[in-house]
Amino acid sequence: MGKRRPASIFFTSVLLIVLYFALFPYPLGKELVAKPAWAVAVVAEPSNNPQASPPAQGAAVPEATAHGAFPFCLTDSFGYVGPDGTLLSVGQRLFQVTLSRTGYINYARMGTDWIMRDPQGERIASFSGNGYPLLSADGRRVLIVNSDLTSVQELDRNGDAEWSRDFPAILTSVSLQDDYLLVGLLDGTLQLLNKHGAPIYQATPGHSRIPVTYGCAVAPDGSFIASVSGIGPQVLTVLGRNGSSYERTLRLMLPTDYRREVRMGFAPDSRYLFYEGVDVVGLVEPEAGRLLPITLPGRLAGSAFLGESRVAAFAARVGQRVNLRLLSPFLAPVSSESFPAGDLFLGDVDGQLLLGVDGRLLRVDVEAL
Amino acid sequence: MRRAHGAQRAVPALLAFLLGAVPFAHGLDWPVDRKIIIGTFGEDKGSHFFDGLDLGGGQQEVRAVLPGELVFRYDEAEDYSSLPRGLGSFVVLHHEGKIETISSNLKKGSLGPVRAAYAAGETVGLSGDTGSSDGIHLHFSLYDEETASFLNPLSLLPPVAGTHMPVIKTVFLSAGDTATPLDNGATVPAGKAQIIAQAYDLRQDLRFLWPLGLYGVRLDLDGKEVARMVFDSLQVTDGQLRLGGIKLTHDKVYTSDGLLSCGTVELRPGTSHLTLSVRDFAGNETTKEISFTVRE
Repeated sequence: MGKRRPASIFFTSVLLIVLYFALFPYPLGKELVAKPAWAVAVVAEPSNNPQASPPAQGAAVPEATAHGAFPFCLTDSFGYVGPDGTLLSVGQRLFQVTLSRTGYINYARMGTDWIMRDPQGERIASFSGNGYPLLSADGRRVLIVNSDLTSVQELDRNGDAEWSRDFPAILTSVSLQDDYLLVGLLDGTLQLLNKHGAPIYQATPGHSRIPVTYGCAVAPDGSFIASVSGIGPQVLTVLGRNGSSYERTLRLMLPTDYRREVRMGFAPDSRYLFYEGVDVVGLVEPEAGRLLPITLPGRLAGSAFLGESRVAAFAARVGQRVNLRLLSPFLAPVSSESFPAGDLFLGDVDGQLLLGVDGRLLRVDVEAL
Repeated sequence: MRRAHGAQRAVPALLAFLLGAVPFAHGLDWPVDRKIIIGTFGEDKGSHFFDGLDLGGGQQEVRAVLPGELVFRYDEAEDYSSLPRGLGSFVVLHHEGKIETISSNLKKGSLGPVRAAYAAGETVGLSGDTGSSDGIHLHFSLYDEETASFLNPLSLLPPVAGTHMPVIKTVFLSAGDTATPLDNGATVPAGKAQIIAQAYDLRQDLRFLWPLGLYGVRLDLDGKEVARMVFDSLQVTDGQLRLGGIKLTHDKVYTSDGLLSCGTVELRPGTSHLTLSVRDFAGNETTKEISFTVRE
């Protein structure tokens, strides 16, 4: 009897462990499979006239609405594509173009008058101002950043100023959402403004020898703001909304030493934040306090969150090659691709990946197996 | 210092004020060799003050004016940007004493290497025409972190010679919606009125008119100082950039037509004597005196 007891304990333990994993399986995640859906060549016709609408390509342009028009921007060309690959419009950048889901402004280096056009190139509104325009993702907000980078003005659709605000140092980065504008300044401060231009929160993350803001991001729902700031050390700071103020939820000393703007931003559903690192992209889930470093050799050149953050895509450039990572945040294993590319664009088309490479657009449907 | 001619003449009291207005400090070196000033600090830029100095002279090397640390750079040729940058390619150096220098509109791809330390005189880039620029130049700004102010670079850079006198072309008296030229011998109604002037400095290297901003303005009425403006610093308070010291916003300093709002006077019946004095960055000053009658 005395010899058989340990064996029964052992087998019972094994049985319990097996039973545990059978009842509560560890979520290993699903493997992502990327399937090319279509590819289309983008050829922009040159335009010397800042007021000219981009020529639409293809024999017939369907009656696409804003819901079916997805913006893209390659090195010199930009436009809108439908979910089925129909090019709704293609234009050539004059100097810069600011794109939104519902329209764009293509503007020249010098000039104070701009026309906003819808994805088909039809005129929506015209504006005047000193500086350059910036549209929110949905195109409802039109900001003018003055040429000295010290002032922002918001215009209504009639071109009248809704509000204007000067900042105590030059702007180094901005994050524009439907209801919020977060600006990062050279002096290391962050200023969060509501959609009426009124300041609702200001912070100086600090903890660095020299305070400078290198990147900033506000979640679309305003639940979190974040910045990469400072020299010696560089610091990632995430602040979460608490009533009418914000409280720090994460501070991370970074090993980076950037002296330029870094890419960072929130997913459209506000759930995830990404920030650029050296050969790495940091993925943060602020609500859960989780951080996932994603190895990605090269300098971050594009990002996209697809289908309510079902999939995140990041691309980094090393010379003339691009490394692409697709993942289901915090769940699925990373899918990786590496390919040569001069031109690169990452965006969303109907919840799937819109990849622009060297004058071609490719829709990649990402499915979990 | 030179004297204006004719009706415009120097006034010793104003001279003293204006001489004392420029706190030259010789710690900085010029960022370029050819010091052709084509835009001055505090100038009217349509809706805002100009926060720096524009230097022409074609493409030339732009140097660090002091030893400093590179804290921010943007190259129009290669860098990502979350906002449109009218400054074009630019470099920000952080210097001892919490001073930052911003060299903007640099030539695409000409920025100096990405490293922390820059010695005084080291090249940070080439002047160019990136960003909102219609010609090759350097936009140079000085920022004081301690006071969160933009400083007039001409207050701190070694003095530069200027031979042209600043100009007071016309002085207007504005009350309500009307503005009338104010000349010697004029008769004007009593009450509160604003003195507006078409006054500017002249670019030194050109024979044709290229107006530049002024350094100082002083307005006296009947021997008493009414207003003075010195374009030495700009600072944001309450979300608006204001001229240092007097804290006036752009729309209080310039009219929508770009004229200079010199100050508000209370005119009482009798004979009045108005003195307007303007000074440029080189220390040249011009004064205009106007005697007029104020009726009941």
